[in-house]
Amino acid sequence: MEQVKKKQKQAKPKKGSIDLTFLILVLLLLVIGLVMLFSASYAYAYYNAPGHNSFYYISRQLVFAILGVGVMGFVSMVDYHLLHKFAIPIFLGSLVLLVAVLIIPSREDAKRWIDLGFATFQPSEIAKFAIILLFAHLISLNYEKMKLPRYGVWPFLGVMGIVSFLMLLEPHLSGTVLIVTIGIVMMFVGGTDMKWFMLGGALLIGGIIVLVLIPGVVEYAAGRVQYWIDPFSDPRGKGYQTIQSLYAIGSGGLMGVGIGNSRQKHLYLPEPQNDFIFAVVCEELGFIGAVIIILIFVLLIWRGYVIAMRCRDRFGAMLAIGLTTQVGVQTILNIAVVSNTIPNTGISLPFFSSGGTALVMLLAQMGVILSVSRQTALEKE
Amino acid sequence: MANMGKAPTYRMKSRMIIVLICMIAIGFGIVLLNLFRLQVIDGDKWQSYALSQQLRSSKISANRGTIYDANGKILAKSASVWSVIVAPAEVKTQTQENAIADGLSKILEIDGAKILKKLQNKESYHEIIKTKIEQPVADEIYAFIAENDVPGIHLVEDTKRYYPYGNFAANVLGFTDYDNKGAYGLESYYEKVLGGVPGRVVSLKNAAGTTMPLQYEQTYDAQDGNSIVLTIDETVQHFLEKNLETAVVEHKVKNRAVGIVMDPNTGAILAMATKPDFDPNNPREILDPQTKEELEKLNTAENKEAYADALQQAQYESWKNKAISDPYEPGSVFKIVTASAGLESGVVSAETPFYCPGYIEVAGNVIDCWNRNKGGHGQINFEQGVMGSCNPTFITVGQWLGVDLFSDYFENFGLTKATGVDLPGEVGSIYHQRKDMGISELSSSAFGQTFKVTPLQMITAASAAVNGGKLMQPYVVKQILDPNGNVVSTTEPVVKRQVISEEISKEVSLMLEKVVSEGSGKNAYIPGYRVGGKTGTSEKLDQKQNGEVRSRISSFLGFAPADNPQVVVLVVLDEPDLANAYGSVVAAPVVGSILNDVLPYLGIEPQYTAEELEKVDISTPYVIDYLIHDAEASIRIAGLKSRVIGNGTTVIRQTPGAGEPTPRDGTVILYTEEETQQDLIVVPDVIGMAGQEANRTIVNAGLNISISGTGIEGSGNVAVNQTPAAGTQVELGTVVTVEFKNTESVG
Repeated sequence: MEQVKKKQKQAKPKKGSIDLTFLILVLLLLVIGLVMLFSASYAYAYYNAPGHNSFYYISRQLVFAILGVGVMGFVSMVDYHLLHKFAIPIFLGSLVLLVAVLIIPSREDAKRWIDLGFATFQPSEIAKFAIILLFAHLISLNYEKMKLPRYGVWPFLGVMGIVSFLMLLEPHLSGTVLIVTIGIVMMFVGGTDMKWFMLGGALLIGGIIVLVLIPGVVEYAAGRVQYWIDPFSDPRGKGYQTIQSLYAIGSGGLMGVGIGNSRQKHLYLPEPQNDFIFAVVCEELGFIGAVIIILIFVLLIWRGYVIAMRCRDRFGAMLAIGLTTQVGVQTILNIAVVSNTIPNTGISLPFFSSGGTALVMLLAQMGVILSVSRQTALEKE
Repeated sequence: MANMGKAPTYRMKSRMIIVLICMIAIGFGIVLLNLFRLQVIDGDKWQSYALSQQLRSSKISANRGTIYDANGKILAKSASVWSVIVAPAEVKTQTQENAIADGLSKILEIDGAKILKKLQNKESYHEIIKTKIEQPVADEIYAFIAENDVPGIHLVEDTKRYYPYGNFAANVLGFTDYDNKGAYGLESYYEKVLGGVPGRVVSLKNAAGTTMPLQYEQTYDAQDGNSIVLTIDETVQHFLEKNLETAVVEHKVKNRAVGIVMDPNTGAILAMATKPDFDPNNPREILDPQTKEELEKLNTAENKEAYADALQQAQYESWKNKAISDPYEPGSVFKIVTASAGLESGVVSAETPFYCPGYIEVAGNVIDCWNRNKGGHGQINFEQGVMGSCNPTFITVGQWLGVDLFSDYFENFGLTKATGVDLPGEVGSIYHQRKDMGISELSSSAFGQTFKVTPLQMITAASAAVNGGKLMQPYVVKQILDPNGNVVSTTEPVVKRQVISEEISKEVSLMLEKVVSEGSGKNAYIPGYRVGGKTGTSEKLDQKQNGEVRSRISSFLGFAPADNPQVVVLVVLDEPDLANAYGSVVAAPVVGSILNDVLPYLGIEPQYTAEELEKVDISTPYVIDYLIHDAEASIRIAGLKSRVIGNGTTVIRQTPGAGEPTPRDGTVILYTEEETQQDLIVVPDVIGMAGQEANRTIVNAGLNISISGTGIEGSGNVAVNQTPAAGTQVELGTVVTVEFKNTESVG
């Protein structure tokens, strides 16, 4: 213990600088995201926002982006080790919120949002961060014992089980998938024995069979699967959003129709400023533009993993892995939905989709990674 | 807390690399591949799908060209009309729905419930409420939209065709269908000229169907149609139709009548009509009262199909232009061709003698001459044979010509092929081919039986016989004008070939003049004009039953002036009342009446012979306030007689009045006293009386007679009409007009 403390004491005065590459990639995505949000939401806001205000979405997003960058800067300067203390309280708090949203949702059809009056937020967003934090905390504490199921399997499965249960009640399948995926990645990196993943794979197949037998789940998911395989089976109903997204993406071709020129955003594509913003990106910027943006995401993820690998302690590394993986998996799932690679499910695109609180939280988490990167830099010297 | 400070192990790092590679290679790899497939490989497909929902292509109708008569009178013109469309998808509330249904039903006079029903089709943007509404109604709807601020009502501009003269030259003009495309007649034949090229506006629309606030819009201008100017003259057409209509009623023509007026020197058709016809403004309505009545009888619940068939049949029938679509047996009118061929080939001359016992035997069959019951024409020459329309004479000439020569002339006169006039639906003729023609066929063909030609073929052939021998290309359109009125093209008369020499043509014309002045065509005679012509009565051989004639076609071809033909008229009455169905009796007066109207209109001045001048009425001089002997002198100088009534010294009243026509040798009554009791005279009935008898009866009653028609001299002239009618009380000296007709039936 004393040695550790010494090290920490030595470390503090030599606090290194943040990873500039990561910061630049974050800001690059943020700027491109804002530009594309403006383009994608312009027409939608013109038709739907109060007073035909085309700037309705972009002006709000811009305010939150500036706020978020501030938060990110602040967080990046805070020593992330402080988060150890908050791991359990934040997790418990998120459980409370997950229960609360079932009781006081802002919308009845999908109980995902809590209305704060000035903004709404999704407790699942908090839960995502809470789990990443908790898992990083547990793994850094118990790394040597991770091979034992008592340390390396059950606590994680228990946490994910509770959270998944609450989220499926909302219901929020895509969020659950996202959280479980991040959790499994963290367990994997954190040292859980390989046999558990093989077992898990086998159980997953069994689980799917069991799930199919639970009433309600099938109805909820079945529709989406059917209209995934053939969206044209109900072109005006459940297949509509997918079809319109494919029209947009296909219309973009190799070079795109030019920024601002999307036609599909004119009321054809539902929610062009939100989950389906990438369809507008594909239409306006073409395959070339889509590839460049995906490449920036890939670079960001690669950089996040590099930060994790270079990190001098496991807590920081696991935080970086968890948070980076979150961005990566969410991006993949979003683009996969938009391109009808997987069934349609509500999942937003980091840095692009409209949503102020989610953006601020995302940037705060990027701040955490930057904070981790400081320690890395120190290690390198 | 001991582990917190420890760096990630090698295993952690290697597992990180595995995750990173999986995420990038599998996750991003798959979505990128999918994007590549969607955007690069199948991009065109998706783009075309997307465009099909994004683009709105609206048609801009091209203005259809106008149809003018020869003098620029408008016969057919397009004007704007509107279609009322509702877009139920744009109508959000029940209140709006009710307001729209209510308002539109009031303005358009249609059932509001029907509109409400259409408004329930919520996914639709295009429900047609009413088409072809006119400007004032459209304005009312615009006002209604503005006043009530209701969404979802759209007016789409379109055009409608107007035919200002109604059922006038209908079979020639034709009509347009619901798409404003020519469906019949000139409208159809000149569709490419009149129709123009419709334009389009391609614009982007959003999913709500309204135009995007974006810039994209591309307009392809409509190209307006050209106009056509016809050779048909509204006035001549009017004269033709008026006379045909009268004839149809008078002679109870069963199978419609057709008439053509043509300029023989150019082939330009001045008028062409079939009666009864239809109104191109409403081509599906049956105008003929008799047909209509028959149809109405059929129109019962159990006869729905039969009625529909019959109605369609009647519609087709009324649209058909008999002049070009209905070949008939021309009968004796065709003798013009046989005569021309005989004279041109030299097998016969005007003086060639013939003997007509009233019949002729051909290949063992007896063929009658029309006047067999009067003992035949006896010993005559060829010219007299023409004047008397003698069948044996023409059969003989036909036989002298022989199959080859006859067929050559038949072909050269254009009777084997459709004329190629610029009208749709022209059919060719039905005739004996050379190889199938025996002596019987040749003989019957020589006097116009056993083959069929169209009236247009017949008049074109006859024109060639009298115009100096040139077979002309008949045509209806003389000019094409662009939308600004500039001439695009002008039709020049086309001589197809010289069929007979100019000299022979002259000879034929003068022979035909004698047909009218002395022969079988007297009913077409008009004082002051040298009219030539030929009667025709053909039996409908294909409708003969048990050897009995069931129906006939009566026709007459007339032209004037005979020494320099300017106008040719052919009138064919298909199945007139059988009682008197001879061309000489029913068709000739119609042609005479048409020529009487048309010739002065065309500026051809009458040139009276001394004999005719005698019969011309005189304009009564003004003698009121004259002293009696001065008045008497004025009247005598004018060539009239006078009779003074009363004991006054000056004339205070005269009958007929000043300027009114009084027949030569007629009497003007001069009244000299105010109080004189006016002698009212009852007009005697002269109808059915022969010429001189009618004349005497009128004059003896103290009236004046004005003679019209064939006149009072010669045999067979009978009064058929008189004004005022018998029994009317009139003043002394009033002129009674009596029309005479030759009632001898000539085949």
